[in-house]
Amino acid sequence: MLDSDTELVAAARAGSDAAFARLVARHQGVVRGFLRRVLGGDRAEAEDVAQEVFLIAWTSLRSLNDAAGVRSWLCGIAWRKARDRMRSRRRAEARDAAWLDAGAPPPGVSPEDRMAMEAAMAALGPDERACVALCLAEGWSHGEAAAALALPLGTVKSHVGRGRAKLLQALGGSDG
Amino acid sequence: MADLTPDQKLAALFAEQAPPARDPVFCAAVMQRVARRRAWARVGAAAPWAGVAGLTAWALQPVLGPSVATLAESLVLPAAIMGGTAVLVLSSLMAARRLAR
Repeated sequence: MLDSDTELVAAARAGSDAAFARLVARHQGVVRGFLRRVLGGDRAEAEDVAQEVFLIAWTSLRSLNDAAGVRSWLCGIAWRKARDRMRSRRRAEARDAAWLDAGAPPPGVSPEDRMAMEAAMAALGPDERACVALCLAEGWSHGEAAAALALPLGTVKSHVGRGRAKLLQALGGSDG
Repeated sequence: MADLTPDQKLAALFAEQAPPARDPVFCAAVMQRVARRRAWARVGAAAPWAGVAGLTAWALQPVLGPSVATLAESLVLPAAIMGGTAVLVLSSLMAARRLAR
């Protein structure tokens, strides 16, 4: 049975839909989570972009140089698609939709905290938000995020540090 | 419940946005779009050949036209018999299946 990303990519390139479906199943979580945090709008939009990302991946699988780095490659595609969406959509509408979508906040977190967090995320610059989404929310290393987002390592580090400080400040903490 | 620290709140809010680790519905939606894209790609790839075949048939029409017409006339009766037989066989099979239930 095919197990590694490299084997699955090779099989998908050879025309195996089953192998591509396994790649989708394996990486959908990180791509969708990243898009939800970066787009910050209604979830339906993030889902739609995530589907487009996998469709683009399917059509351009041959352009992937390092098959082991498929996760980073997918997030790179997701980042480019998200930037296009952010330029084109009406952000206020998206925030309203996000508010309507939201259920009860997690235990120990007040609705005010969540609103403050969403506002703080929305106030971050797009690059800063992407770095925060990958490094703080998904636990990626700075190097991995730099490769996926095509940003210099130092820029990623400073974006993560500044972004984290702003979010903590919005949640009532110090920026330490 | 003790108040969460801002760091813990941040982690909880990030975790809240995380999609499920397994989501067959999302995977099926992606594979459906892949199948649709592949179908359109095949149609797109076949379209030029269909055009070439149409143009060839049109160019050869003066040469092949009379013989095709003669062939068509001679095939009318066998084609009608074969069609009628097919309809009879299919309807008998469907009736037999319905009665067998």
